Amino acid sequence: MKRACGIVLVLAFVAALLLPTVNVASAQQAPKGPWVDEVVFLVEEEEAKVYNRLIAGDIHAYFTDLSDPTVIDLVKKSPQLWYATAYGLFFELTINPVGPEFPKTGKMNPFSSAKVREALNWLVDRDYIANEICGGLAVPRYFALTPAFPDYARVIDVARSLEVKYSYNFEKAKEVITAEMLEMGAELRGGKWYYKGEPVELRFLIRVEDQRKAIGDYIASQLEKLGFTVNRMYKTGREASPIWIGGDPANGEWHLYTAGWITTLIARDEGDNFEFYYTPRGYPVPLWQAYKPSPDFDDVCYRLAYRLYSSVEEREQLLAKALQLSMEDSVRVWLVNQKVPYVAAKGLQLTSDLAAGFSGSRLWPYTIRFEGRTGGQVKIAMSNMLVDPWNPVAGTNWVYDTTIIQATCDQPAVPNPFNGLYLPNRVEKATVYVKSGLPVGKTLDWVDLVFVDEPIAVPSDAWYGWNATTRQITNPPAGLKANVKVVVEYDDQLFNVKYHDGTKMSLADVVFNFILDFDRGDPASPLYDESHAVDLEAFKTTFGGFRIVKESPLTIEFYTNATYLDAEWIAFDAITSFYPWGGLNYGAMPWHMIAIGMLAEMDGKLAFSSDKAAKLNIDWLSYIAGPSLDILKEELDKAIANGFIPYQEVLGKYLTKDEALAKYNALKAWFEKHGHFWVGNGPFYLDRVDATANIITLKAFREYPDVADKWLIFSEPKFPAIALSGPSDMIAGEAAYFEARVTYRGSPYPADEIEFVKYIVLDQEGNALLKGEATPVSDGLYTIVVPTSELVPGTYRLEAIALSKLVCVPQGGEAYLKVTSVKSFIDSATQKMKAEMDARLSGIEASMAEQQKTLQDLRSSVSTLTTLSYASVAVAIVALIVAAASMLAGRKKA
Amino acid sequence: MKLMHGVLRFARYAAKRGAVLFVVVVLAVYATILIANMGGYVDEMVKSQVMASVSQSVAQNPQYKMLPYEEKMKIINSLYEAELRRLGLDQSFYVRSFIYLGSALTMDLGRAQYMTSDSGSTIVRVIITERLPASILLFTSVNLMLFFIALFGGLALSHRYGSKMDKVVVSLSPLSSIPGWFYGIFLILIFAAWLRILPYGGMVDAPPPKDAFAYALSVLKHMALPAMSWLIAYSVIQTYVKRTFFLMFSSEDYVEMAKAKGLPPKLVERRYILRPTLPPIVTDLALTLISSWMGAIVTERVFNWPGIGSLFYEAIGFLDSPVIVGIVVIYAYLLAVTVLILDLVYMIVDPRIRMKG
Repeated sequence: MKRACGIVLVLAFVAALLLPTVNVASAQQAPKGPWVDEVVFLVEEEEAKVYNRLIAGDIHAYFTDLSDPTVIDLVKKSPQLWYATAYGLFFELTINPVGPEFPKTGKMNPFSSAKVREALNWLVDRDYIANEICGGLAVPRYFALTPAFPDYARVIDVARSLEVKYSYNFEKAKEVITAEMLEMGAELRGGKWYYKGEPVELRFLIRVEDQRKAIGDYIASQLEKLGFTVNRMYKTGREASPIWIGGDPANGEWHLYTAGWITTLIARDEGDNFEFYYTPRGYPVPLWQAYKPSPDFDDVCYRLAYRLYSSVEEREQLLAKALQLSMEDSVRVWLVNQKVPYVAAKGLQLTSDLAAGFSGSRLWPYTIRFEGRTGGQVKIAMSNMLVDPWNPVAGTNWVYDTTIIQATCDQPAVPNPFNGLYLPNRVEKATVYVKSGLPVGKTLDWVDLVFVDEPIAVPSDAWYGWNATTRQITNPPAGLKANVKVVVEYDDQLFNVKYHDGTKMSLADVVFNFILDFDRGDPASPLYDESHAVDLEAFKTTFGGFRIVKESPLTIEFYTNATYLDAEWIAFDAITSFYPWGGLNYGAMPWHMIAIGMLAEMDGKLAFSSDKAAKLNIDWLSYIAGPSLDILKEELDKAIANGFIPYQEVLGKYLTKDEALAKYNALKAWFEKHGHFWVGNGPFYLDRVDATANIITLKAFREYPDVADKWLIFSEPKFPAIALSGPSDMIAGEAAYFEARVTYRGSPYPADEIEFVKYIVLDQEGNALLKGEATPVSDGLYTIVVPTSELVPGTYRLEAIALSKLVCVPQGGEAYLKVTSVKSFIDSATQKMKAEMDARLSGIEASMAEQQKTLQDLRSSVSTLTTLSYASVAVAIVALIVAAASMLAGRKKA
Repeated sequence: MKLMHGVLRFARYAAKRGAVLFVVVVLAVYATILIANMGGYVDEMVKSQVMASVSQSVAQNPQYKMLPYEEKMKIINSLYEAELRRLGLDQSFYVRSFIYLGSALTMDLGRAQYMTSDSGSTIVRVIITERLPASILLFTSVNLMLFFIALFGGLALSHRYGSKMDKVVVSLSPLSSIPGWFYGIFLILIFAAWLRILPYGGMVDAPPPKDAFAYALSVLKHMALPAMSWLIAYSVIQTYVKRTFFLMFSSEDYVEMAKAKGLPPKLVERRYILRPTLPPIVTDLALTLISSWMGAIVTERVFNWPGIGSLFYEAIGFLDSPVIVGIVVIYAYLLAVTVLILDLVYMIVDPRIRMKG
């Protein structure tokens, strides 16, 4: 017994020694596929419960942004939670510009005056809205450009100058509006505006669902302070839309509306925002038709939207002009860009997208992990899920669904969550040939950009479409040319990538995808879908052709007239347009899975799109649950029985009947095991769907080709911090040298990761007087030379802005400088010296007085000592005399 | 001959009663259609929203960015028209309202405009039937518990009028002035947030257990708090109501007579109290069970319970008329049929009820 106990103890000791080693190993080794073993999605709508469940460890992350200020405050203070912010939601004040009188009512509309609209910019304190109403989770926004996106950074100097110029100034707003109102025939009586004897009433549509209620109330109060009578009309979005967007603004039913807009991806080209927000071409609704931008502004908007410029520099000039003119036009007054919070428990790491948070991040499935360890189960809650049916052809595009779907499907290129540039995933390289004169640039090494002098001829054997009648691929018309050609070389292991059912990706997936896309847009096809035809027609207006150059590694050519500012985006179009089905929202999915859906649609039992389903009064196809599954099962059996090869005339060249059967059988086995037909190739596979309980379980796909640390660099954004140091006083005419230190978590930011460090010098009115670029000295260190000769004496603000190549949000730092003239400087210096001398002299005097006092003390001490010594001597003499007298007296006696 | 005459009278009565109820159902359903669509104003809301979303999706789609303005407008208009057609908004509201009514009355509930079932179907019948079991499971169970607690508790208390227990029940009856969901919030705070022994909500653990028995246990665990919230809120008041009801019947002359005759108390209770009160009790039970079909909107929202109540809430949020009408029409039919059956049964079993027809 003792021996057994001894053995157990020894084993326990050995196990105890080994266990930490095993844990360390698991902490260090990145597995294939994702870091964690399982992700469970569930629904939770109540934010208060979300907070409690996160604290209790019942859930680990919430994939819906928080909006309850109380909960946000709790999250901010909690040591157990962390949050990321996204910039994709922004608020503005939409203005009805009809007037000066509304034709229907004859009532005055003060906002028909551009000057009044412009003055609203001074009337609203955006800092107050951002910091007080939005609790610090917002930044002021002045323009149609998002302050966190690349275009804003490109014109940051102009933007900052205008932001200072249009910052809160109630008195200025009052002055301008008063003058304009009087000009328009209104009169101010007893602090109230009247027009033709009646109070000037502003009908203000205020949204009630979010912070816009408080924002609306604040703006209404500001307007009331100016003497307007404000009718606060509180409405939900649904109630307000027939009035502001559906109604005719000439009816005078409203003057102002608190609008909100959303973007779910980092837009790298926001040039067309001005066209959309300020011109009648933006929206085909009555309000937009009432917009009357100045011819100059209209021209700028048009040129930016349709890329009628020949260089990046010219575009930046147009953007700068658009910023200025948009403030003068102000049919909308931008207010704040929200930084909406997404919350997770500490210890869980995952990527958050700068525009769309956790749920919009393409990389969350690749980076989600528990800090310091591999494996484990993550529970993620969302406010909703399973909103629409899942099918990759025309299924759900709700973010609640696509965020889960994207974990199950791999994309050949993924967007950088911090700057929107595409990064290669299943691609080796891409070469983008662009006609000279088109403003295209490139940033990343995986793309080569080559400018060519002439438009590029599309080869006659390129694929141009599909004829559903002859069932053959069509070629381009003779002599067709395109402005862009992209040559893409995919990863040489592409066709070894496995789908979740064990089958491998193949060229048949690519060819099938090409045909199906065109087939669904051909009225002769049983798969024709009117809603898809609209998209396809738009695609065809720029598409030039597609050619498979080499099968291994897969190399393709893609011809197009669609261009973007970034060659990486052009390459992305080429890479994904005919990549195995899934498109932008989903990712790769195999042809044999789509084929059974095709059969169901051809049989009139199910339809890929909601539009066609409604038209035929049949169900919208879902691969994961519901009545679709039985139908798909029947179709799969039929496909197996018939050895069905879709588009056999073409696909038959890429696929044998046996191969097709093997794939169908793999799908059948998959269905029998998991109860659904959802097969992707992402790092997770869909294990179970409990549709009624709204719970989805994803499990790690360990046959995924990449290891988990591939995208780890994108776990968090590398925001640069910038600090300025330099002289505070300087003489006009002399160059002033400043040091700008750019760091990340205290360490110097590598110079090759910095796009630029710009500076601007602003006067007290916000006019940008000087601007330029800082000179790099070493990693994290830049010098700024301010040529003060161009400045008159006064106080200025120096702002430096750093933009990282990795994160597109510009970061700023500031310093104040005082510039003086030579005479003033000498006077000032003399006075300073005099003051210093005076100070020193008075110091010396004080010191001397102190020394004199000390001397006096010494003298007095010495004098005391002298007296004492005299006294001592006298006493001594007396003593001697006494002693001598005593001795003499003694001798006499003797 | 007499029997024949009786059957004819019964059939005439049943037909007349059925016809009246049917007219009521028709009116109720049409009123629901009008209200759910705000007399057609919802069309205007939807059209504006469709235009806004279509325009923005085209504006934000990189594929469309470089298209000429006219092309973009063509696409926007085409998508807009297609969506209106999909939603059926290419017909006037009043035409559609009668189509809705016809579909509803024939129980062809059609397809939802925006919503899909949890499994992805747009068929209203599927949308409703997927949520129905959850509602029935929770609210029928709770209502049955409440019914029997009240029935036997009320009966027992009616014998112990003025006892301590009776006084306790009378004192606690104002508990029902607060709705069940409100207690639910406190129960969540206590049992889920603080003690952490019961779930915050939902129908089953996440991930759901694979074993059927474990799954059932998990569902039971998730039912505990919502059921408890209703029992706290409504059991005392219902017991109090039943107790008063039985007290009234207990003081009827024939009961007093039976007692005076010296009949055993059990017999008096069964024969002289329970039997004559049976029709209103059965009516109460039937209507309670029917009403549990509708779930409970707020309770389901608080406990994140995927039943008909939360479906109704979502449908109102989406202004999805076919789903709203579908839920209402099924309830209306169930109610009408129940009322009709109860009427007919009473007519047969209770001699005090006479046919007039």
